[in-house]
Amino acid sequence: MPPFVSKPIGLTPVDVGAAYRRADLIFDGVDHSRHSYALRVFFNNPAATESTDRSAENGYAGSVYVFGHGGCFGDEGHCEVPEGRQPFDLRPPHQLTPATMWLNVTDAVRRAAQRQERLVITVVPVAARGTATDTPLPFERVSLVTYA
Amino acid sequence: MASPVTEAPPASTVSGLKLRKSVATLTDADLASLRAALVALQGISDDRGYQHWAGIHGLPLPGYCVHNDAAGVFGNLPVGPLFLPWHRAYLYFFELALQDQDPAHAVTLPWWDWTTDPSQPSEIPAAYASDAGDGRPNPLASGPIAAIPDAQWEGDSGARQSLIQQTGIDPGPLPAVTFRQPGALPASPPGLPTPQDVQNALALANFADFSQQLEQIHNGVHVWVGGTMSEIPVASYDPLFYAHHAMIDRLWWLWQLQHPGADPPARYLNSPLPPFPSLTVSGTLDINHLGYEYALAQVPVEASAPGQA
Repeated sequence: MPPFVSKPIGLTPVDVGAAYRRADLIFDGVDHSRHSYALRVFFNNPAATESTDRSAENGYAGSVYVFGHGGCFGDEGHCEVPEGRQPFDLRPPHQLTPATMWLNVTDAVRRAAQRQERLVITVVPVAARGTATDTPLPFERVSLVTYA
Repeated sequence: MASPVTEAPPASTVSGLKLRKSVATLTDADLASLRAALVALQGISDDRGYQHWAGIHGLPLPGYCVHNDAAGVFGNLPVGPLFLPWHRAYLYFFELALQDQDPAHAVTLPWWDWTTDPSQPSEIPAAYASDAGDGRPNPLASGPIAAIPDAQWEGDSGARQSLIQQTGIDPGPLPAVTFRQPGALPASPPGLPTPQDVQNALALANFADFSQQLEQIHNGVHVWVGGTMSEIPVASYDPLFYAHHAMIDRLWWLWQLQHPGADPPARYLNSPLPPFPSLTVSGTLDINHLGYEYALAQVPVEASAPGQA
């Protein structure tokens, strides 16, 4: 799982609003089907890795912790999340349906905006026993949302 | 004339509600009752026993717990966020099963206040440590894992191999026991949640927002404890699981008191909480309706000796 490094996004009042009350980093399509892991978020530190200290000086903005289901313990197909649903299907969604999780990054965005007008977001996935490089990024997309 | 109270009173209030106490305030008598009930529960192999109740959360399949669920509508069924209601129901039924093994039916689940000042070391509470200080094995230090079918425990895709990959420790064939690795996993947060972390969550006004933030705190504690607590399928076999979740449930209750009426959206209130047929989301909203309350302290008040004011 190599880190995700974003393209620079604007931090000016035109880009994120003049007086936002709160800023969230929203992760969609978060995989929780396997082991537990953390997503460590750094601002304007594209070289951040698992060993980077989680300090404001390093641009650390917080972590999302994913409590994992640990794998698949059923037969083939048991853990495949079905695509779409038939009408009148009242069964609950599949337990492994990818999740949406969010991290309040209000203070970190404000700190970053005081220094630069551009923001690079680095997300470092940290597996329970350290970085595994042979697995894909465990989320589908990430977005920064500010609120009045 | 009644004798002065000289022992810890049963954990109940005049209204009949049972009191869940902080692990830190448990008396020796409280701990003895809890441990005795737990040992009795672990000695039952049918659907009243520990393996049955621990197994509801994860393995054996089906695992019923609700984690990482997004709010939304799936098909015609509105679901989520059900993390908090489902676990309140789970603890309610687990606590009743525990009380069935207590002659006084008074034992309750204590809550582990894991909030820790960052300047202090994060620790497992002493009552749940391997050495309980009385020379006897401590049933709160680990729990048995016994009733998972081989097909779900052994093999390349079994839970045993998953635990090896996750923790680096082989729990062995069944029956096995739970284990912990406090703060040792690389994915672990640097320490247990701070009081400020909790205050930040409690200040949120929206249920879905609060639920997700509290679940994040909850996830971090699971990963910090490590070992079997760090993966959903076997986490609930560790007795510490119930103290951790009592804390989560207590924080939801505190949030409810601070934000009256800010309950899950109305469209979720009739959602079932399988496998608990007698509870829906709405049935979990009032813990007094479920017969318990969270106490900060319970101080026995003794009568003075004659002639003493």
